Amino acid sequence: MQKTNERRTLAAVAAAVAAIVVAVGLAACGGTTGGGNDSEVSVAKGGPVKGQLTISNWPGYIDPGKNGTVAEFEDKTGVSVDYIEDVNDNNTFFGKMQPLLEQGESGGRSIMVVTDWMAKQMWDLGYLQEIDHNDLPTVFANLSPSLESPSFDPKRQFAIPWQSGMTGLWVDKSKAPGIKSVNDIFDPKYKGKITVLEEMRDTVPLVMKGEGVDPEEATNEDWLKSIDKIKSAAQSGQIRAFTGNNYTEELTAGNIVAAIGWSGDASIVQNKNAEWRMPTEGCVLWSDNMVIPVGAPNVGAAFGWMDFVYEPEVAAGLTEYITYVSPVDGVKDLLLKSSPELANDPLVFPSEEFQKNCSTQDSPPDVEEVSDAWAEAVTG
Amino acid sequence: MPLSKRLVPYLLLGPGLLILVFFFVVPMYFMGELALREGTLTTGYTFNWAWSNFPDSLSGHTDQILRSFYYAGIATLLALLIAYPLAYAIAFRSGRYKTLLLFAVVAPFFTTYLIRTIAWKTILSDSSPVVDVLQALSLAPAEGRVLATPGAVIAGLTYNFLPFMILPLYANLERLDLRLVEAAKDLYSSSRIAFLRVTLPLTMPGIVAGVLLTFIPAFGDYINAQLLGGTGQAMVGNVIQSLYLNQRDYPEAAALSFLMMALILGIVLIYIRLAGTGAFMETDEREEAA
Repeated sequence: MQKTNERRTLAAVAAAVAAIVVAVGLAACGGTTGGGNDSEVSVAKGGPVKGQLTISNWPGYIDPGKNGTVAEFEDKTGVSVDYIEDVNDNNTFFGKMQPLLEQGESGGRSIMVVTDWMAKQMWDLGYLQEIDHNDLPTVFANLSPSLESPSFDPKRQFAIPWQSGMTGLWVDKSKAPGIKSVNDIFDPKYKGKITVLEEMRDTVPLVMKGEGVDPEEATNEDWLKSIDKIKSAAQSGQIRAFTGNNYTEELTAGNIVAAIGWSGDASIVQNKNAEWRMPTEGCVLWSDNMVIPVGAPNVGAAFGWMDFVYEPEVAAGLTEYITYVSPVDGVKDLLLKSSPELANDPLVFPSEEFQKNCSTQDSPPDVEEVSDAWAEAVTG
Repeated sequence: MPLSKRLVPYLLLGPGLLILVFFFVVPMYFMGELALREGTLTTGYTFNWAWSNFPDSLSGHTDQILRSFYYAGIATLLALLIAYPLAYAIAFRSGRYKTLLLFAVVAPFFTTYLIRTIAWKTILSDSSPVVDVLQALSLAPAEGRVLATPGAVIAGLTYNFLPFMILPLYANLERLDLRLVEAAKDLYSSSRIAFLRVTLPLTMPGIVAGVLLTFIPAFGDYINAQLLGGTGQAMVGNVIQSLYLNQRDYPEAAALSFLMMALILGIVLIYIRLAGTGAFMETDEREEAA
């Protein structure tokens, strides 16, 4: 008899547990995941420049220390900045943030720095706030004319350029002086000593250029063909790894002789023999942009930051350290006085002649199909 | 027995049950629900009893699943071969250094797993003295490097999960009744036979526990393949990570996670049936006798 009673109590407990589970499940699980925010795009509302500001950016993308840009901004405005370097590549960062953004949250971030196509993707999904030009007088007074009207955001409604750059070849000239063309990285003598970027829109168009295809005109088949080439190079062990910004560590450690990489990373590649080269076929051009996500706290301070980094003196200090292409007009004139060598560096102030073969970074015609093929090549 | 007294055991179970419900049952429910959704990031994922996610998640990923078995299996075997003599020595031969040695086994845990793996990346970089020595001894893999080879991933897995093998083995060996070994020897058994017929069977519970504690996390690991491996060495954990973070195919990632969990559960059950006679049946028999 006692046994049955115990069984009954047990059954009751089990039933209670099941009820809780179902209740919690139903309560927390209405609607769909993903699909973006359908509500109208909100225009970011400014305010006083004070309080606390959190910025997500890529590693090695700012001058650190007491005289660095962040410290100067804090001194000038009294804003306390939490500057996080948690963007190692666009996809992974987006993957991490998407569930939050979907809920209208930004994880406390007021500014995120992402590449053109990702900014567009986030905008299309309703994850960004619109920016009123009147809130950013310094930005729009000093923005370089060539960046005023990019195809992904012709009116600069949501993306304010942080820095621009070129995707090309990083070469350890003591070990592989002969690498000049994109096709050279497929030379068997460098087997296992090459890395390429996990960022599809960097690596695939560059390889395509090696094949003689113009990425701006490329069809789906062109994309898939180049992905096949990269995939078989990965399977044969020719390509050592697909990397984010961490290819700089591989170059520093001497694990590789060449990498597909970004033009301004000299400040984080600690290898004197490594240099960025413009491939003979040209490069891929892109910009990273400051965006204001939905749910961003303290937009006033975010605007303050954007205007601050568009002051030519501040931008010049930044350029001196990070050596990417500044979107701010007037930086070159300032640097011609203080550091002429940098002002004449074609990687920092590229001339039209230098970039004549370069293509603007673009997405494939059928993003889904090509991305799937790419993911398969990367995790093969 | 009054009702209140009968409820005591359930009340005592309460906190544990609640933790299980909130941190296991509820997440499992959400994952299961997610695995049956359908859609894309732009259209949104809608619940649709999309069972096809399960076969879809397997297609094209069999290589990585088999590779995970292979890597985790070898790592578990290596860990067992290293851990058994070590645990034996600590239990019976270490004298006053026992505590110190046990501390040495656990000490790496004071640094996080990720940092330790990154440290190996530095130690084993292509131009490091360690790799030079390995090459001089012809111990480096055919590629002439250690990093970005299957060997590096297996070594990383072995290293990272070794304590999970040592500790249960040690706990088991420590309470081994040495008089039984003596008795075997009194009956003219050689040391080898005494080990094989007495010590080894009596330490089966430790071996079973150690193998499970090593194999299961090693199978699902993605950090070692990510940091120490290269192209063509991705494990199933890397596939799930890529599906979730890069391709944002949440339903397929959830479905693959579920299948892997079921697969591991199945293997563990079979394994316990086959190897667990000493480990788990022993207690059952005793209970039955009582």
